[in-house]
Order: sequence, then C-alpha cells, then structure tokens
Amino acid sequence: MRTWYFSEMAYHPAWEKGLARGSLRVNFPNEIVDPREAGALLNRYLDEFALCDEAGLDIMVNEHHSTATCMTVSVPMALAVIARETRTARLLTLGNPIANRPDPVRVAEEMAWLDCLSGGRLEMGLVKGAPYEIAPANSNPGRLMRRYWEAHDLILKALSTHDGPFSWEGEFFQYRNVNIWPRPIQQPTPPVWMTGMSVETGKLAAEKGHVVGTLLSGGLAKPMYDAYRKRARELGWEAGPDRMAYAAIVGVGTTRQEGLRRADSIADYVRTAPVVAEPFTNPPGYNSIAANVAMLKAGPRAHRLVTDRDGQPIDHRTATVQQFMDTDTVFAGTPDDVFAQLQAFNTRMGGVGHLLFFGQGGYLSHQDARANITLFGKEVAPRLRELGAPAEAAA
Amino acid sequence: MGRHITVSGVALEIEEKGQGRPLLFLHPGEGLQPDRPWLDRLARHHRVIAPHHPGFGGSALPDWLGTVDDLAYLYLDLAAALKLENAVLAGACFGGWVAAEIAVRNTRRFAGLLLSAPLGIKVGGVTDRDITDMHAIPRADFMRLAWADPAKGEIDYTQLPETELAAIARGREALCVFGWKPYMHNPRLKRWLHRIDIPAHLLWGEQDGIVRLAYGEAWKAEIPGATLETIPAAGHYPHWEQPEAFDRALLAFTQRL
Repeated sequence: MRTWYFSEMAYHPAWEKGLARGSLRVNFPNEIVDPREAGALLNRYLDEFALCDEAGLDIMVNEHHSTATCMTVSVPMALAVIARETRTARLLTLGNPIANRPDPVRVAEEMAWLDCLSGGRLEMGLVKGAPYEIAPANSNPGRLMRRYWEAHDLILKALSTHDGPFSWEGEFFQYRNVNIWPRPIQQPTPPVWMTGMSVETGKLAAEKGHVVGTLLSGGLAKPMYDAYRKRARELGWEAGPDRMAYAAIVGVGTTRQEGLRRADSIADYVRTAPVVAEPFTNPPGYNSIAANVAMLKAGPRAHRLVTDRDGQPIDHRTATVQQFMDTDTVFAGTPDDVFAQLQAFNTRMGGVGHLLFFGQGGYLSHQDARANITLFGKEVAPRLRELGAPAEAAA
Repeated sequence: MGRHITVSGVALEIEEKGQGRPLLFLHPGEGLQPDRPWLDRLARHHRVIAPHHPGFGGSALPDWLGTVDDLAYLYLDLAAALKLENAVLAGACFGGWVAAEIAVRNTRRFAGLLLSAPLGIKVGGVTDRDITDMHAIPRADFMRLAWADPAKGEIDYTQLPETELAAIARGREALCVFGWKPYMHNPRLKRWLHRIDIPAHLLWGEQDGIVRLAYGEAWKAEIPGATLETIPAAGHYPHWEQPEAFDRALLAFTQRL
C-alpha cells in the first residue's frame, strides 16, 4: 500500500459562521474571508505538503470552489508549487473536475506541463466532482456523465497524439486544431485515476483499467472494488490492489491518546464539509434516477447517512472519532495501532494499494500536522509498502 | 396514462380529452400532472392535446434531443401529424417558452397563442434575475414563490409509487437538460417575438414569485397586439391553482379568435 498525503487547505476560521448559517458552500459570502489570513494558511499548508518528500510519502491534491472547506481552487496551480518543492514524491491530482471544465484541451495542456515540470511524476485523476460543485461552475447537471466521458476521451487523445493537430467535433466539445505543447513525459499518458462510490463506477473504471478511488466509507468502497475486480476478470485480466485507492483521515501519535486527538481534530473537516444549503446537494441529473427515487421516498427531513460495519447509521455531522473509526472514515492511534487497523482494512477490502492520507483538516496545528506526517512516514508508511493483496483475495 | 405516439422518432405520451377546437397545451417544468382538475375544466370546451415533454412522464428523451429548439420542431411535427387546424397553442411556465419558440417559427396550424407566465426571454441587465433561480432555493421557498397558497400545491412524494417518482426524477433532469444554461431562457428569443402573427394573450397569476408581472409586461410589449390579464389568488401556475378562472380566461380568448 502506497501513501498519498493530502489536505484540502481549509479556511477553518470561517467554519463557526458557516455552521451557524447552515451552509459553508456556494451561498456563504466571501466577506467572511480575511485574504491575508488565507494567504498565511495557504503558505502553511504548502509547507506541510513539502514535508512529504522527506517523509517518503506521495502527494495528492484536489479542488473545490466557493467554499470555506477547501481553498484549493485549481489542482494544477497547487501542484505547480508543490512540484518545485519536491523531488521524488509522485503527484496526484484527484482530481480535475472535468465534467465542470469548459475546456478539456486546457486540462490536457496543464497536465502535460506538470508532467514535464515534475520530471514525469504526475498521476492524473479525472473526476465527476461533488454535487455542490455544479452551482459554482454553472455546469449542466443533466447528462453530466456523458459530458464527463467525452472530456475524458478528448484529454487522453490530446495527451497521447503527437502527429497533430487533430479535430474534435463532439456533442459537448468542438476543436479544429488540437496539438498541445509540451507533451507529457509519461506515455501514452500519465496514469489515470477516477473516483466513485458505486458499483457502476467500479465496472466502468475496470473497463478503462484506471485506478479507482473512494473516500471515507468502507461500506461503499467494498462493493465498488468487488465490481472492479469482477469486471476486470470478465475482460481477461486480474485487477491487483494497485487499481484500488481509499481516502481516510489518519491521526498518528507517540501515544494512542495523541493519535486520537489528532484524528478528532482533522475529523472536524468531515463534520463540517457536508453542511451545505439544500438545493445544492442534489442537482437534478447528478445522482441516478434510483437514488433520486430513494430520496423522494425518504422525504425531505431524512439525512443521508453512512453505516458502520454493523449496519448502524452514522451521521457525519455529529459522529465521534470512535464512530468514524467504525465506518473506516478514520484510522487513529499509535503507529502500531494504525498499521494494524489498515492491515485489517486491507484484508476486508480484498486489497487496497493506495491510502489517500487525509492528514490535515483545518483545525490541526502546524506542529501537529508536521508530527502527523513525519511519524506516519517513518513508522507506518514503510510497513504499508510491504502490504500486498491479502491471502484470501489472491486465492 | 395517456396514449403513445411516435413523432420524428420520439415516443411521446399524450393526454387527450374533450371535444371542440383543438388546444395544444405545453406543460410547465414541474410536469403535466393530468390528475389535477385543470384538464377536465379545459376539456369542457376544447379538445385538449397535452404531450408530456421528452423526458417527462412516459415520453422518451433520446440522446440526440436536448434543446428547446428541438422541442419547437418536434411539436410542429406533432401538430402536423395530428393534422391540427385553427388550433389554440397554449403553454405554461417552461411550456410557454416552448410555445413562443414554436410561434416565432410557424403559426400555420394555430389561430391563437395563450401564454401563462412563460419563461424564455431575457429582459433585465446582466445582474438582474428575471426568472427566479428555482434550483438555488430550498423546495419550501420555491413553493412559497410559485403558489399563492402553497398548501394547494403540496405533493406528498413519500406516498407516490416508485414508477411515478422515477418519472418525476427523469423530468427534473430533462428540465435541466433543456433550460440550465442560459437559465430558462433564450437570449435571442425576444428579438424574434415580433414574428408572432396570430392573436396572443398572456395570463399572469397576481402572486407569481417565479416571474413577476413586470416580466409579463415585457412579453406584451414585444408581441404585436398582445393582451395581458391577471388572475387573482394565483401564483406561477394559474391553471392548477385557479382552474376555473383560468378556463374562463382561456374561453374568452378563444371565443374572439
């Protein structure tokens, strides 16, 4: 299992106000941001990313818009800084929200540029994006995945075509001269990742051979990984752990108490991030018809919950660290504790090759974040690297 | 359940009721809802022909179809397939936008155009919202703006069968496909409204909070000879909220055609 450190670069000084208003996204006015404080935090978070090289960790960056929970507005911009401050870490975008990007060729250019800049260290996530990203981008939620796949195909073609220009006259995108400069070092394209939470996404990712990642819910991850492995087998290949990724909060400390305290602090991110005004949570078309039928049947007052390993519902907004540990949202304790938890998780999931290490949520101090990264890199990551597919999954 | 007819390769579900002058009724973004009393009222004096828009009800939304232009041509083909003559073309809310797009293209089969709180044109400046952003407000706020008496419009979705819920979810996505961006309007439509060469009448609920009466006045100013009438105690859907008054206004209009 490889470890990829990531942080959403939150603007947590605004969280209390956002929680009081019932929305931290889209309709939460930016008058609440102190731009100088935002700048200081961005520099601090980038310093935390830069530590990963020394700690032997790889790096993941994502982006959100119009929110106090994530100040990264552009994956390539953040990675451009990080690429210059690191030498060996692989750099993962997870990802580029390509269904919301008006210009996929621009995405291909940025990815190629980053691959050149970093000496071929780029891993390229192409994602659908969260439902509340539709409003800031004003992208049409209707036929969203059709637009996603057209952008996906165009980006891969732009990265891997070297005798251009070529033309593209699609349903959503039209170009007459695609010929990106520079082209990426890694050929035909940097490794491609997707994210998802459904069996359907697992199948589709297997058909492309992409890495598939999911976040914060083991209960949702397992069926998706199983669907991926099954579809790969149908297509004549074995999908190993290196095709599966999982994002979780990790708090590690020299004592169990210290690890739990760090995880609890980072988990405030998960308690805060889902708080968004109702109309932005489910734009029509974003979720499947079946999911919408279930929501209409449940009625307006039902909250969407995840379940723990015993099938008990957990509300992310109020959950304790222990409850989060029961849903595989959090792994925490001493290095031995965390390794044992991840080893058991790897077995339950049938082999997960990538841990997306959510190691900074906002409230965690710089000192704690540094210690969390350094200790994880020294004591946990080397042991995880030895962890392959569990015996029963390989059988 | 209405009957099914395939027009230009699109399988449409159509509600048909009543005798008399044909009335092609194009429904709002909220759907056709043929079980409300409005359809019976209108059918007392007209042969009502009310298709479910592609993606709504039992109508298919083929991959190739996705704009209001497509809907305008589709319904012109439907009017031809049904051999409508001297018909009334009526549209409410989103359906009013579609009706106007039809009328600027070809009015040969129609004697009059009735628009009830139509969406579809841009009137104000770049930062003015002519049309309330129905997708950026909670459902309860939408109901308060769309109905004079929101209780009359409440639907308990938890009691509906799953097939109907699936149709509602499909319809909500279809409305986004057609009208997400630019939001529920065609920036160029206003410039072509002068082409409407049949009598046009606008109906507006006095308590419409989705598109205000001033927006109706802008429509009236652009369509040659158009008239505008308000309906008391009605919001954005006068045909649902005040079916009797809506029917009276419609009948008065069609009798002078």
